[in-house]
Amino acid sequence: MSDCSQSMGQVIQIRKGKDVSEKEKEETALQSKKPAHAKTNSIQQIRYVCAIGAMHSASAIPRVIPITHCGPGCADKQFMNLAFYNGFQGGGYGGGAVVPSTNQSESEVVFGGEDRLRGLIESSQKILDADLFVVVTGCISDLVGDDVGAVVRDFQKQAVPVVFAETGGFRGNNFTGHELVARGIIDQYVGEYNGPRTAGMVNVWSLLPYHNTFWRGDLTEIKRVLEGVGFEVNILFGPGSRGVSEWKNIPKAQFNLVLSPWLGLQTAQHLERKYGQPFLHLPVIPIGARETSAFLRAVVAFAGVDAAKAEEFIRSEEDIYYNYLETFSDFYSEYWWGLPAKFVVVGDSGYNLALTKFLVNQLGIIPGKQIVTENPPDEYRDFIRAQYRNIAEDVSTDVEFEEDSYRIHKLIRETDFGHKPPIIFGTTWERDLAKEMKSAIIEVGFPASYEVVLSRSYVGYRGALTLLEKIYTTAVGASA
Amino acid sequence: MKINFDTPVVKSREQRLGTIIAWDGRASELSSQSEYARSNCASGCGEKGRRLCEMKGPFTQGSVCSEQMVECQAGNVRDAVLIQHSPIGCGAGQVIYNSIYRNGLAMRNLPVENLRLISTNLQEEDMVFGGADKLEQSIRDAWERHQPKAIFIATSCAAGIIGDDVDGSAKKMQGELGIPVIPLHCEGFMSKHWSTGFDATQHGIMRQIVRKNPKKQEDLVNVINLWGGDVFTPMLKELGLRVNYVVDLATVEDLAQLSEAAATVGFCHTLSSYMAAGLEQEFGVPEIKAPQPYGFAGTDAWLRELARVTHREEQAEAYIAREHARVKPRVEELRKLLKGKKGFVSTGSAYAHGLIAVLRELGIEVEGSLVFHHDPVYDSQDPRQDTLSYLVDNYGDVPAFSVSNRQQYQFYGLLQRVKPDFIIIRHNGLAPLASRLGIPAAPLGDEHHALGYQGIINLGETILEILAHKKFHEDLASHVKLPYKKWWLEQKDPFLLLR
Repeated sequence: MSDCSQSMGQVIQIRKGKDVSEKEKEETALQSKKPAHAKTNSIQQIRYVCAIGAMHSASAIPRVIPITHCGPGCADKQFMNLAFYNGFQGGGYGGGAVVPSTNQSESEVVFGGEDRLRGLIESSQKILDADLFVVVTGCISDLVGDDVGAVVRDFQKQAVPVVFAETGGFRGNNFTGHELVARGIIDQYVGEYNGPRTAGMVNVWSLLPYHNTFWRGDLTEIKRVLEGVGFEVNILFGPGSRGVSEWKNIPKAQFNLVLSPWLGLQTAQHLERKYGQPFLHLPVIPIGARETSAFLRAVVAFAGVDAAKAEEFIRSEEDIYYNYLETFSDFYSEYWWGLPAKFVVVGDSGYNLALTKFLVNQLGIIPGKQIVTENPPDEYRDFIRAQYRNIAEDVSTDVEFEEDSYRIHKLIRETDFGHKPPIIFGTTWERDLAKEMKSAIIEVGFPASYEVVLSRSYVGYRGALTLLEKIYTTAVGASA
Repeated sequence: MKINFDTPVVKSREQRLGTIIAWDGRASELSSQSEYARSNCASGCGEKGRRLCEMKGPFTQGSVCSEQMVECQAGNVRDAVLIQHSPIGCGAGQVIYNSIYRNGLAMRNLPVENLRLISTNLQEEDMVFGGADKLEQSIRDAWERHQPKAIFIATSCAAGIIGDDVDGSAKKMQGELGIPVIPLHCEGFMSKHWSTGFDATQHGIMRQIVRKNPKKQEDLVNVINLWGGDVFTPMLKELGLRVNYVVDLATVEDLAQLSEAAATVGFCHTLSSYMAAGLEQEFGVPEIKAPQPYGFAGTDAWLRELARVTHREEQAEAYIAREHARVKPRVEELRKLLKGKKGFVSTGSAYAHGLIAVLRELGIEVEGSLVFHHDPVYDSQDPRQDTLSYLVDNYGDVPAFSVSNRQQYQFYGLLQRVKPDFIIIRHNGLAPLASRLGIPAAPLGDEHHALGYQGIINLGETILEILAHKKFHEDLASHVKLPYKKWWLEQKDPFLLLR
């Protein structure tokens, strides 16, 4: 890391001597006739956190514990907000607000924090029972230029299971932090591999643990349906993962499956370079029988596994699913007191696209407004837009990218939804807006402070049924 | 020692008061080692809190930072905006403090709404070129969006290290907008204990919001609290006094009139120490120097002192007599129901002293407790505020009294020492461990829950409720494994690594 941070230190020096007139020019530019409520740097009511939030990607792996090398509040902040007031998911075995932390103080800012980190890694081995420790860094370490890599490598040389990722908050958000953590574990722990591949074994890179409120149930369902059609699944995160042994198996897999609009692509590309392992990218996380069956057929075709066996599983799942839908249709076609006709989705692209597909294609609800909030890297945005343009054969819609809730709410307020208010799939931030618009609200993403979520899933065959229950219980619950 | 309001940066707790975050012994020992040193400390003792011997070790678990306390105070002022001058990660706190704000508003019967915090969202290039422009832009956005009565700025570790001139930007924008724009210096690394963040908020309010030429309101009492339910209004009404709640859920005008009040009180000296002392020093608003209002003895003494200062002794005596008569029968019943139960308090410092008193009023044994930090002296330096000595003298010693900054790995051993039936908590992180050991926790989200006479009953009822949860926790305990190694769990001394 140190190379980058040290050069950062130098640039900070340069900054202090920055030409004043240049600075003034910038200021004038900023002030000059900005249209009212135009997009600025401001983010009100946050929808993602910073890269060190990916400490949760470590603690999402069974028996892996993060070691946070950061200020005294960072671990608590990330936990309380991503994992507590977001579905009240909880910290689990080795996570939570009280993961090891250097709680950096002024002296580490002035003199550096490498010794302190060394002491913490050493004592963590003594006290905590973990299969792997993942050191993640905060702003302080990354700014003062601690050589965290050197500290961690010393332990690795003694065969201590510890890796690191530089996740200073200014470097990016918890989505990019997630890929840094995954890459850190792959490069520093999984290591080189020249052995054979196992046909039918797949590594799944999909939802962002903890940030997605329903990730545990969803990954479990994704694993279940992939196993159902005959795959051996390394789900990697959550209760369905076998922990580090599964990560050790990553290079043995036949291929990687990236099941999200963009998250996980960098990891898959890295694995392709590192192990020559191919990957399949499917941007739509499947909700409902139609999408899930299509998803399974695509994966089966890519992997070249037994299609007949897969069809058998698909048929039996569809039988169950459509049996429930058949009974649901009484309600859906006969309910007297009105159901939502249009919808708004505000959330990260993964769930946003998945929900839009399901609501349009399988329920026939009309898209009102789709706003993607996780600030996807620029290079993926056209790809994401294209997905919305082709949401169904006869339905094309637009998507907007916005992270600042003030502007998000303004966009929604300014939309004409016709004669009745839309149903909003959003977050706690939309609660007051929904009240104002007399809309129903379903909290489907971070932060979901009014949901308690354990194993609930909204994806696949089974999750879709739960989602239907949630949507229409909310709708009916608001009736007289 | 005079508090210095001339500089924009607050002095940290450890600098002012000699605050420590790790210590182990008897409550009586800690009290005699603290600066008040009962025997020889008159008002105004010492230049600085005594340097208590503080332990340090290599293993630490995540704490809480000062910026979070700024969020939960300045960020919950109803007609202000708080700008977080930081990378987006510090903004994570918007989620929890929004939930707290909404629940707090509901408890006070105020309209429920989302809070107004804006992150400047500093990025890599800002670490190089500085973030002042973004700060000023966000301040303009705050104004354009909400026309607030004041704008607070919370600094961050990153902003502090790159050396952004936050004071300069604030001054410039204050001139431009004509409302107070108040920098609150609260970099996480600046203090080992988060309570410095309370002080940072209060420092900014004292400097830039509180009216400098107050018109006295002889029946107004400042109550420095958080978002707790409205228990002070009915209580002080008995004395013909009105309540001015600050800082959470207050308006900027409520903050401005702090200097006009007849007295200042709080529910916990840890929170109120700085501003209460500051208001007395700068504007002659007396801080009530009495035991905190917990248990019969504490509440009696607190009411009497408040009545003395505001000249309402007669009303107070009548009220005290009525309340004793009202609550005593139920307290007696609760004592029977709770007989033989052992409790363990793990909360902030002065607050814990009060809660232990209430537990003992209820006849509950308290052999051990922990506080997250210890201030050897509060800002007033008045021995009448020596809450720890008051506890030891009036309710007896606590044999296993520890200062542990939310260190869960130590908490295991602390619980083994005394094997309580339940714990009382406020901050997160400790109750999950207790739960996995089969021990239920009473989380006091409403900080006023155990306060005053009614508080004795409230706490007793809550303990009965959570004791029933024991079934859940014991079932869980028999099915989960703790993340700590056997070697550590077998250690008798939770402070082993610090000695």
